[in-house]
Amino acid sequence: MAAIGISNSAPLNGGQKLAMKYFTVAIALFGAQVLFGLLAGIQYLNPDFLFGILDFSVNRMLHINAMVVWLLFGFIGSVYWLLEDESGVPVVGLGLGNLTFWVFTLAVVVVVLVYLLVQVGPGELQSIWLINEGREYIEAPRWADIGIVVCVLVFFFNVAATFSKGKFTNIGGVLVMDLVALAGLYLAGMWYTPNISMDQHWWWWVIHLWVEATWEVLVGCLMAYGLIKTMGVRRKIVETWLYIEVALMFGSGILGLGHHYFWIGTPEYWFTIGGFFSALEPIPLVAMVVHAVFDAGTHKVKSTNNPALAWIIAQAFGNFFGAGVWGFMHTLPQINLYTHGTQWTASHGHLAFFGAYVTMVIAFMYIAIQKWRGDVYMSGNLVGAWKWKWALFLLHAGMITMTMALLISGYEQSQIERAIGGSTWMAYFEAQGHVWFMQGMLWRQIGGWIFAAGFVLLAWDLLTIGKRETRPALKVQGE
Amino acid sequence: MLEPVLLANFFIVFFSAASVILFGASYALLFAWSRVRSRPRLMPLAYAAYGGLVISVLTLAFHANLFNNNFWTFIVMLMLVGYLVAPHAIWHLCVGTHEDAHEDEANPIKVYQQR
Amino acid sequence: MSQTQALWWASESFWRKTAIWVTAGSFVVLIFLTFDTVDQITAGSKANRVKAYSVINNRIDYVFDEKRNFQVPVIGPEEPLFGKKLTEEEAMALVSHGKLTTQAKNCMNCHTLLGNGAYYAPDLTKSWLDPAWGSKETREETMVDFLMNPQDRLHNALGRKMPNLGITEAEARATVAFLKWMSAIDTNGFPTNFKPIDQSDPAPVPAPVPVAEPAAAADPAVAAPAQQ
Repeated sequence: MAAIGISNSAPLNGGQKLAMKYFTVAIALFGAQVLFGLLAGIQYLNPDFLFGILDFSVNRMLHINAMVVWLLFGFIGSVYWLLEDESGVPVVGLGLGNLTFWVFTLAVVVVVLVYLLVQVGPGELQSIWLINEGREYIEAPRWADIGIVVCVLVFFFNVAATFSKGKFTNIGGVLVMDLVALAGLYLAGMWYTPNISMDQHWWWWVIHLWVEATWEVLVGCLMAYGLIKTMGVRRKIVETWLYIEVALMFGSGILGLGHHYFWIGTPEYWFTIGGFFSALEPIPLVAMVVHAVFDAGTHKVKSTNNPALAWIIAQAFGNFFGAGVWGFMHTLPQINLYTHGTQWTASHGHLAFFGAYVTMVIAFMYIAIQKWRGDVYMSGNLVGAWKWKWALFLLHAGMITMTMALLISGYEQSQIERAIGGSTWMAYFEAQGHVWFMQGMLWRQIGGWIFAAGFVLLAWDLLTIGKRETRPALKVQGE
Repeated sequence: MLEPVLLANFFIVFFSAASVILFGASYALLFAWSRVRSRPRLMPLAYAAYGGLVISVLTLAFHANLFNNNFWTFIVMLMLVGYLVAPHAIWHLCVGTHEDAHEDEANPIKVYQQR
Repeated sequence: MSQTQALWWASESFWRKTAIWVTAGSFVVLIFLTFDTVDQITAGSKANRVKAYSVINNRIDYVFDEKRNFQVPVIGPEEPLFGKKLTEEEAMALVSHGKLTTQAKNCMNCHTLLGNGAYYAPDLTKSWLDPAWGSKETREETMVDFLMNPQDRLHNALGRKMPNLGITEAEARATVAFLKWMSAIDTNGFPTNFKPIDQSDPAPVPAPVPVAEPAAAADPAVAAPAQQ
C-alpha cells in the first residue's frame, strides 16, 4: 500500500504510468502556449519587439500549435488513464505505446526547433515536407503529419485491442468509434492543391470536424468516466446520456460545418445549411443545463476530488459561454459578413477552446494526481487548497479579461474596418490604430499576464497538492 | 438572398443574439429548478425568461432582416418553438433515464470516508 | 425493470441506435453535399465560382450585383499579368508556385486569406484590387518590390511592418499571380463594401463597363439552387 501524500507511481497501472508521461509533456506545452501567446500579444503593443528574430507569425504559429498538441497529449493521456480501469484488463501492446510516446515527443521537439530556427523555406514542395505547411492549426510539416498518423494508429490499436480483450463498455465503444473518425479526418488535411478554395474546404473538415464534433465526443467520454469516478453517478444513466449527447453533438455538429462555408468560394446553399444548424447548435447546451440541475437536485453529492469537480463544473460553464453565447453572437451570415476574420474570432476561439477543452484536461490531471499521491484526500478542507482555488480563479480571470478585451477590439474592427472602410488595407490600419482597438490589445495583454500567473500556480499545485495531507481519499460507493 | 445587417444595428444584433442564448439557458435553468425542487412559484419566472427569449429572437430577426425571406422566417419560428419545447423534452428524458434509480434514494450520500 | 421497458424512448439501446443513425445520416448528407461543392469549386468549373487559372490574363474587377445583392468578381478585357499572356497550364504552374510560397513563408499566421488566418496584418482576399497599390500601371512592380523588401517600408502609423522572408523575384511574381487569381474567386460578397483600385482605361478608349462573361451572368441561378 502506497503511503498517503507521497508521489509514487506504484499504485498506478501500466496505462496510468504512461498517462502521467503524456500529462507531463502536456503541461510543458501548455506553458509554451502561454509563453508564445504573451510574446505575440506584446508585438501588438510594440511591433519592434523581436522583429526579424521571432516574428509575430512564428510566435502565433507556436501559440496555436502548442495548444493543439498539448490538448491532444492531454486527451491521449486521459484515455490511457481510464483504459485498464474501464476495460478490466492491462493495456494490450503497452510497450509499443510507451515507445510511441517517446517518438511522438521527440517529433514535437524537432518540429518546434525547426519552427524556431528555420522558420520559413523557399516556395517549393520540399518546404511543406520539411519545414512548415503554412496552414493555420495544421502547420506541422508533412513528415510530422505522417508521424502523427502513425502514433495515433498505435494509440488506436492500444485502445481498441484492450477493449476487445476486456470489457467493451459503452464508453469504450463510443471512444473507439470516435478515434477512428478523429484519425481519418486528419487525412483530409494532408494534401496539396494550388486552389485555395479547395484547400480551405478540406482544411475545415479537419478543423471543424475535430474541434466541434470528434473532440466534443471524446470529452463527453472523459466526462462520463469522470462523473462515475468523482461523484458515483450510476453507469447506466451516464452511458445513456453519453449516447444522447453523441446524437445531439453529431446531429448539430457535422452539418454545422456549413457555417465555415459562407465566404471561401463555396456555393450559396451553405448559407441555408449553416444558418439552420447554427440555430440548432445551442440545443445540446440547453439539454446540459436541464440535466445538470436535475442531477444536482435529486442527488446530494459529496465529491471525492474537489479540484477535479470544480474544473468539470467550469467546463460546463465555459462550454456554454465560449461555444454557445460567443458562437451564436456572430454566426448568422448576415452579421458574420462583418465579423469573419476579425478579433471577434479570436475572442470566441480563446473562450471556446479554454472552456470546452482546457478545463476538461485539467480536471483529468487532478484525478490522476490524486491517485499518483497514493489516493490522497482531495475533498473539503484539503490542506493547501488555496493553491488550486487561486489557480482556477486566476486562469478564469485572465481568460475572461482577454475574451472581453478581444471582443471590444473585434467590435470596433468590424464597424470601422469592415462596415465603414470596406476592408481595404487603409481601413484595416485605421481600425487597428483606433483607441478602442489599442485599449483592447493592452487589456488583452494584462489578461494574458494574469492567465500566466494562474498557469504557474496551477503547475505548482499539480506538483504539490496533497503533499501535506494524511487522510485517504473518500470512496465512491460500490468501488 | 441575404440582407446584411445595417451598421446602425450592429450592437443590437450582437446583444440580442447573446440574449437569446442567455434567456434560453435561464428559462431551462428556472424550469428545471422549479420542477426538481417542487417550487411551482418559480415557474412563472421561467416563462418570463422565455418571454425575454421571444423578445430577443424577434429583435434579432428584425434587425438582421430575417423576416424578408421565407427560409430565415422559418428558422425564427423553429427557434421559438424549439427553445420552448426543448427543456420539457429534456426534463422527461431525465425522469425517464433515472426511472430505475429509485432504489438508491434510501441512502442519498454515495461517497464515504475510506478507512 | 418492466418500467424500464415501458420507457423505450429513455432506454440506452434506443439512444445508441439514435446516435448511430443521426451520425450516419448527417455524414451521408455531408458526403453528397461535398461531391457537389467540390465540383463547384474546382478551378475553371462551369459553376464559375473559382475561375480557371488563366483568368490572370484578364482584368478582374469587383462589382455590385443587384440580383445577388452583393459584390461579385467580374472578368474584364485582356490584361495579362506582367504583360505576358499564359496558357492555362503555364498559369496554373505560376499560381501554384505562388500558393506554395504563401504556405512556405507562413503568410497565414499574420494575414487572413479568404478571411481565415491571423489578424496581425490585412486580409489578402482582394489585395490585388487594393487601392493601396497606387495606380494599376505600377501595381505589379510595386507588389513584387514590396514582397521582396518589406522590412523597411513603414506603411502605417502603428509601426507594424512585414519582415523580410527571403522571397526571391520569381517567388514574388508567382505570389502576385496567386493573389490576382484569388481576387477572382466568388466569395459571396466577402469582403463587403470594398472599394477596388481604379482600373478604368484612359478616356479615349470606350471603357468596357463591367460586361461579365456570359457564364458570370448566368451564375446565380446555377450556384444557388437552395436560395429563395
